[in-house]
Amino acid sequence: MATPQLNLTVRQPSSTAAIIDIQGEVTGAAETPLMNAYEEASKNGARTIILNFSNLEYMNSSGIGLLVTLLIRVNRQKQRMFSFGLSDHYQQIFQLTRLNEAIGIYPDEASALQAAG
Amino acid sequence: METTNKPSFWQRIFGGGKTPVETEPGPVPTHDSVPIPDAPKPLPGTLLNIDLPPNDPLVAYFSSQPGVVELEKLNLDSPALRELNAQAVKLVIPLVNQGELLGLMNLSNRLSDQDYSSDDRGLLNNLATQTAPAIRVAQLVRQQQLETQARERLEQELRIARLVQQTLLPQELPALEGWHIAAHYRPARSVGGDFYDFLQYSDGRLGLIIGDVTDKGVPAALVMASTRATLRGVAIDYAAAQNTTESVVDPGQVLARANDLICPDIPPKMFITCFYALLDPKTGCLQYANAGHDVPYVKRGNSFIELRARGMPLGLLPGMPYEIQELQLEPGDSILFYSDGLVEAHNPQKEMFGFPRLSEYVATHAGGAALIESVLEDLEIFTGPNWEQEDDVTLMTLERAADDRRQTTDDDAMRGEWKILDEFQTPSAEGNEREVMKRVAEAVKDILPASRLEQLKTAVAEATMNAMEHGNKNNPDIPVAVEVKASPSLLSVHITDEGGSVPIPDNPAPDLDLKLDGMQSPRGWGLFLIKQFVDEMNIVTDEKHHTVELIWHLEDANKT
Repeated sequence: MATPQLNLTVRQPSSTAAIIDIQGEVTGAAETPLMNAYEEASKNGARTIILNFSNLEYMNSSGIGLLVTLLIRVNRQKQRMFSFGLSDHYQQIFQLTRLNEAIGIYPDEASALQAAG
Repeated sequence: METTNKPSFWQRIFGGGKTPVETEPGPVPTHDSVPIPDAPKPLPGTLLNIDLPPNDPLVAYFSSQPGVVELEKLNLDSPALRELNAQAVKLVIPLVNQGELLGLMNLSNRLSDQDYSSDDRGLLNNLATQTAPAIRVAQLVRQQQLETQARERLEQELRIARLVQQTLLPQELPALEGWHIAAHYRPARSVGGDFYDFLQYSDGRLGLIIGDVTDKGVPAALVMASTRATLRGVAIDYAAAQNTTESVVDPGQVLARANDLICPDIPPKMFITCFYALLDPKTGCLQYANAGHDVPYVKRGNSFIELRARGMPLGLLPGMPYEIQELQLEPGDSILFYSDGLVEAHNPQKEMFGFPRLSEYVATHAGGAALIESVLEDLEIFTGPNWEQEDDVTLMTLERAADDRRQTTDDDAMRGEWKILDEFQTPSAEGNEREVMKRVAEAVKDILPASRLEQLKTAVAEATMNAMEHGNKNNPDIPVAVEVKASPSLLSVHITDEGGSVPIPDNPAPDLDLKLDGMQSPRGWGLFLIKQFVDEMNIVTDEKHHTVELIWHLEDANKT
């Protein structure tokens, strides 16, 4: 049996935005680490949570379900969610699921941070 | 609103309703005035809660009297005047704007006991002329704020009504071997009265309902909700009473009883059109009755059959009979049920989409779910890009498979010789879908372009996950079997689990808005993604096995 591999790091490059660096696989097994990372990212009052998908290896439908759950929490806290580093394939998935309407997609960290203000 | 509704306005302004509003002025302290120790002493700057009904003579007096009024000099039979005197008010400066009394500035004695000088009066008069219009503006701004809030509340209510209505529509489509059911519902701008429903009887028969409540908006949604419940109650009651024996659950009786129950309660001028069909999936026999709904079309070959049966709409007159009709559905037949939002859609030239166009379309195009998609495309072409949808559009198809025993990879001969690229099994354990995905991708990497390879990987991984989780209940002793094969024009991946006796329900399309509003589970994207990323998907079930066949067309693989 393959063990799911996921490493999450949280950075806060500005007072208003925090970045969660995702390295590995976003599947159903990512629920606890992802929610913990979100709480850490929010604890200093970040208004924008930015997901860095540059090192995403694999995301499945359960992972997309987790993003929706995360989005509900982000909306409830009146925060915003941005992303960058998505491959063409996952950008297409964001479009098909309309997640791109709820999560801002940026080409790189600098543009995501600039948009976060 | 307050300006036209005098009593409530006065009550608000003068505290008759016990709550003074912020526009009511209190006593204005002059620079040397302090409260009089002995007097019944309102503090400077506080609001006086004085009841000033609109018929009090004081109102007429103040409205006509510009400038400072000395209460001592007034001789009016007025409860409000007595109240003001009791509160030790000496001077009143009415705040009048365009003939309308907005409020009073009330002053008690000067502390020095000297009379107010003419300078004082001049200052007060000036103050009143400045203040009255300012208060009026503030009132108007406040009024506008309240109206905006009311409008937002109304929009919010409509949004909730729409969500409630959508949750009343079936969350899952029935899965019947040898049959395929598809449905599409698109509400008009706010809330509509269309509905459809499925009733599963224990003897295997399936009831299909499509209906339309006259009118739109919240009333239509409410009538729709109660009609749906009534139909369910009546039909299921009948099923229980019939005890699932040979006797017929008669669609005509269902409509007649529902009509009798709906008639006494329905609001005037509203009624419901409704078509009820009862399918025996084993024999293909379809019984139906119609309460004035648009006649469904059956596609058979390149022609169409109308499902006509006489009956009045529900809710008009009690005691109405409903004719029962019957049709034997043949393999390949496909029925389109629809609502008038489709046939009554207008193009920019004000022409209606109409029945002839629709029946012709049904006869000449592929049936089933593909028909729903292509009819919607045709509707879009007909109405043009800037169409504001006039009414709900509901489409539902019931299709009998062309050949019950061979649903997969039909037309093998036409598609040429198949070559097996890989064949293997994997235990049902979480994470193994990644191994399957990699191995299938490796097997097909030379025949599929890179862009489609990523899509294949996602589709294969999702189908494998479903097979392990739903089919084999994550039991590592039960394997998932994978077969990858290609013909000159097609690539086919079979994924087989051992959950054959349990059909996998075909979920409705996931809707991000519903999910974010908590009206749909955040999950449920798997089948949706598979369908997006394959050219065809077939499901074959026998008593033990359940096979999902994913197909990609190789000749147009370069298009995407």
